[in-house]
Amino acid sequence: MPMAHDVGPESVETTSGVGYVWATMLLVWVLSLLPWRVWHAAPELLLLVITFWSLHDSRRVGMLVAFLFGLTLDVHDVGPLGLQALMFVLTVYGAQAMQRRVLRFDLLQQSIHLLPVFVGAKLVTVLIGSFLVSAWPGWSWLFSALLTTACWPLVSWLLLLPQHRLDDAEGGST
Amino acid sequence: MQRHVTLRLFRRGPAAEVTLTLLVLLAIVLLFTDATWTKTNPVRQAIATTLYPFQRAVLFPRDMLKMANEWVNAAALIKSENEALQRQRITLAQVSTNAALLSAENTQLRRLLGVLETAVDRPTVVVEVLYEPVNAFTRRIVFNKGSRAGIAQGMPVIDESGVVGQITRVTPMSSEAAMLTDEIVSIPVQVLRNGLRLIAFGSSAPGKVEVRYFSSDADIREGDQLVTSGVGGVFPAGLAVGRVDHVERNPASGFARAEAQPASHPERHRHFLVLQVPTGDGLTSLPSAATISSTGLAGATDKTK
Repeated sequence: MPMAHDVGPESVETTSGVGYVWATMLLVWVLSLLPWRVWHAAPELLLLVITFWSLHDSRRVGMLVAFLFGLTLDVHDVGPLGLQALMFVLTVYGAQAMQRRVLRFDLLQQSIHLLPVFVGAKLVTVLIGSFLVSAWPGWSWLFSALLTTACWPLVSWLLLLPQHRLDDAEGGST
Repeated sequence: MQRHVTLRLFRRGPAAEVTLTLLVLLAIVLLFTDATWTKTNPVRQAIATTLYPFQRAVLFPRDMLKMANEWVNAAALIKSENEALQRQRITLAQVSTNAALLSAENTQLRRLLGVLETAVDRPTVVVEVLYEPVNAFTRRIVFNKGSRAGIAQGMPVIDESGVVGQITRVTPMSSEAAMLTDEIVSIPVQVLRNGLRLIAFGSSAPGKVEVRYFSSDADIREGDQLVTSGVGGVFPAGLAVGRVDHVERNPASGFARAEAQPASHPERHRHFLVLQVPTGDGLTSLPSAATISSTGLAGATDKTK
């Protein structure tokens, strides 16, 4: 029976339908419009979902999709236009650069691999943001990046649930 | 399997690094343009207009809960509001008779001195908070009315206790305001006690307003009330801005800096008033971000938190 860490990127990519991919992204995007993100250390759930799909379905979800989602968040947050977009693009690039390596590990080890990607992209964003307003916003962004990384195993597991059921069903039928 | 991988490598679009460079450049160009000029406003407006139905849809449960809560507690709420309003009415009745007397006296004195009449009552728009955006760097509020209701950039926003902020951006259905504690807002103020005219800026310290660019020997002290002076024509005179809570005098440079606690409490209320002051003649528009960063660097004497 195929286990999560034995599945290579090719076969995982073909089993997710377009509808499922976009449905999850749009759902988390709409949820991101709610005020729970007022807490400065809130995890970036939309970034997590987009990074997940950029790893598991890199043909459909790439840096351009990440850029556009980041842009809508910029407008919603009344922030400098392009700041979140930049963070999303850098995260997706970093994740896709190590795509083949990361997907060979299990979910917990994947999050350790992705930690520098999340923290690095967020750091660049915070540096540019503080340059624009000449003020340092504190260190809560670091908690946000760490919490985002910590949520990676949970979010990945949730998004992979339908595929586990499919694999189980296929495994059971043979 | 290996051949399959190689074929797909060729069929992939532009190399990842190329896309990355293009998108990073685009993001930097957008950031730079957005910070320095207002040319990105059409892009923002387009995205905000498409976002608006989603924002309303997502905030719908919260609004429904609020309505349900109000409906259930209607009687108790109305009773307590009624009592509060009665008390306010009595104190205001006193103030308004006094104000009528003072206004008559003022008109007479002006006539005696030959001074021109002041501005007339301005039209206003009542707005409600749609949501407060998450932002580590700025303090903004988004209202549920926009250019369709007659709101334009630069108009002041007030609540019953004083100045809340200034409108920074409008879309047809919503508008964004920066609070007076945001560094982008500067208000010409006057010390109520002695009429000393100063300018109040948003401070880097959270929730405070900073008075800058006055000399070390100016007559301002703790406890002084700051009100708008009406200079500049954007903020009408007489609106409460804040109360000074400490003054830093630097005898070496000859300049001083004061911090004031704002009089308004925007986090307590949902409804605000936007004063429809005519703007757009160039003199009354907001400073761009370029001047903010330069004043931020120039005016920062001691920004340790």
